[in-house]
Amino acid sequence: MTFQERYLVGCAALAVAALVTVSPTRAQAPQDAALNAEAAQNDWPTHHGTYKSYHYSGLDQINAGNVKNLEVAWMHFPERATRGLQSTPLALDGVLYYSGSYSRVWALDGATGRTIWSYAPELDEELVAKQTHSPYNRGIALGHGNLYVGTVDGRLIALDIKTGKPVWDTRLLDSKKMTVGFTGAPLVVKDKVIIGAQGGEWPHRGPIFGVDGKSGQKKWEFFTVAGTEEAMKTWGGDSWRTGGGGGWMPGAYDPETNAVWWGTANPAPLYDWAGADWKKSGPRPGENLYTTSVIALDPDTGKLKFYHQELPHDAWDFDSSVGEFVMIDRGGKKLVVHANKGGHIFVYDRSNAKVENVWPLVKNINFVKSIDPKTGELIGRRDLSEGKVDPPLCPAIAGGISWNSGAYSPKTGLFYRIGQEWCMELTVEKSTPVLEPMAQLNIGATFKFIPPPDGPARGHLSGRDPVTGEKKWEVNFKQPPLASLLATAGNLVFVPDAEGIVHAYNAETGQELWSRNNGMGHNAGIISYMAGGKQYIAVPAGWGSLVADEFVALYGEPFKSMSKNTGALIVYALRQ
Amino acid sequence: MVWPWLSTAAFAQQSTPADTASPPAQAGASPNEPDGKKMFSSTCGFCHQDGGRHAGRGPKLSKSEKSDEFIIERIKKGKTGSMPAFGGVFNDAQIGALLAYIRGLDD
Repeated sequence: MTFQERYLVGCAALAVAALVTVSPTRAQAPQDAALNAEAAQNDWPTHHGTYKSYHYSGLDQINAGNVKNLEVAWMHFPERATRGLQSTPLALDGVLYYSGSYSRVWALDGATGRTIWSYAPELDEELVAKQTHSPYNRGIALGHGNLYVGTVDGRLIALDIKTGKPVWDTRLLDSKKMTVGFTGAPLVVKDKVIIGAQGGEWPHRGPIFGVDGKSGQKKWEFFTVAGTEEAMKTWGGDSWRTGGGGGWMPGAYDPETNAVWWGTANPAPLYDWAGADWKKSGPRPGENLYTTSVIALDPDTGKLKFYHQELPHDAWDFDSSVGEFVMIDRGGKKLVVHANKGGHIFVYDRSNAKVENVWPLVKNINFVKSIDPKTGELIGRRDLSEGKVDPPLCPAIAGGISWNSGAYSPKTGLFYRIGQEWCMELTVEKSTPVLEPMAQLNIGATFKFIPPPDGPARGHLSGRDPVTGEKKWEVNFKQPPLASLLATAGNLVFVPDAEGIVHAYNAETGQELWSRNNGMGHNAGIISYMAGGKQYIAVPAGWGSLVADEFVALYGEPFKSMSKNTGALIVYALRQ
Repeated sequence: MVWPWLSTAAFAQQSTPADTASPPAQAGASPNEPDGKKMFSSTCGFCHQDGGRHAGRGPKLSKSEKSDEFIIERIKKGKTGSMPAFGGVFNDAQIGALLAYIRGLDD
């Protein structure tokens, strides 16, 4: 070998070594640029796509012109899919990661579905059997070379992203005492992993935690119920001790203000009998801060920066934990758009949570007459008293908007969201205060779903201006779809529906371009990613959320005979 | 089988399942007796709609053909993926009051 040959071989070896060292480094964590982008590109690095929470993929190999050629590329069937699949997968460097019930996690080759590793934590099964909102898991997070998953028995677990081996396992909640655990996806922000506890109707204080990603040490804990002195004053007597208010779905991060936005749940009990005298009487007198609020926390300290309580003294279980935080810039203003379960969309100034607009997504709302679009003040609120509520309450307890996310396309400028039209007969009961551990739910009423005054119980997808709510198009569904949506640069909006059909619509017009039957209802998240230079669409199918459970009585078949213990991850690609 | 912890009122309900009157176990509950109706609305009504008279997340309970033993066992142990186990939450007297409430339901 000549010197030159040796030199070239040496260079090649160095290049390979560099690739070997660079590639795993790249694979250890999503990059800041990808997290802060408007569009998810090759990867889907965080629950809502990116921190801007558009549920939007910048990939356009699959587009309105060729979506008719979309077909199943591969499938994966998880074990113990109790209550189906409710999680949103993530993708990084051609590997797809997803979680199922009991916080089981899989890492799969994104092109073939081959299992790279899997993980099944040991859970406190006796505790799990006592829980109502269990054992499903709604998502994971990636960062610091780890994959993070919460558990319903109160732990946050870090797994090595390459091997699936546990790195740390931290108990954050005494779930035996508190009832609640974690079902929502964590959010990675800088060196922290942030996760919110379950619960609106349980006797706890809904903490949100900041945990060090490398060590698993808890760095801060913010109580969404009476977490500040100001908030403590908004709970009469000892009601703050059992206030509910969990932040059970993941928020988002705004790096410009170093603020983590998070939505909080309703207070407990859900329905109280105080009527118009709610500031002074009833089981939880006062505004009940920071329940049914959007709050902005400093990710480094967990300190509250600012907030807006969407429904002061929420008397209807229309919490703010549902709803992604869509961060858009419009007319020189930096805004965030957030959906509330009651059926209204709130638009805020990102720097201070000042209300910029409020608009209704659904038609059947009577818990308030309206919400002031300039201030967010509730106008004509219906505070409930003991006894039968007449006329019936709209929307029903499942909300005008459910926890599954919408999507926003910066290409069309449209916000795509599912609205739910249904009401319920309601009788408020004067309940006994729930102060004991494992007391389960604290409802304070009996109720029954009924159709709304203007037609059958139903759902709709609409494409709207996210700031004004102006509607460009709408598609109606016999039953509200309960899965998150996906918009893509291929001018498509994907909607996995309740009966099991996944639809693709033209993002500009709402025209249906493609559909396939996945064989069981959807209540999870759909994503897109790139593996081996090819675009894929991944959607978990599998029915069984608490809202889904209502469909048997409302609609009969196919829900009556639909399995609630089955799931499949179905991945689509263009036919070769 | 006789459940020794059931109240007299609860037995009265069991013995007249077709009776559509309000169950005395709930209407006349003393401060020391568990109130099945209140307990039901606090916890069970989340899934068993209209106070148990209508199917929702859980089945309709009024006029249930299931045996007392079955209902008590289901309340205590639950059903994976469908119903939580309440055996650690409610004591036998409370479960008895819930059963009495259910048996006293009209349609």
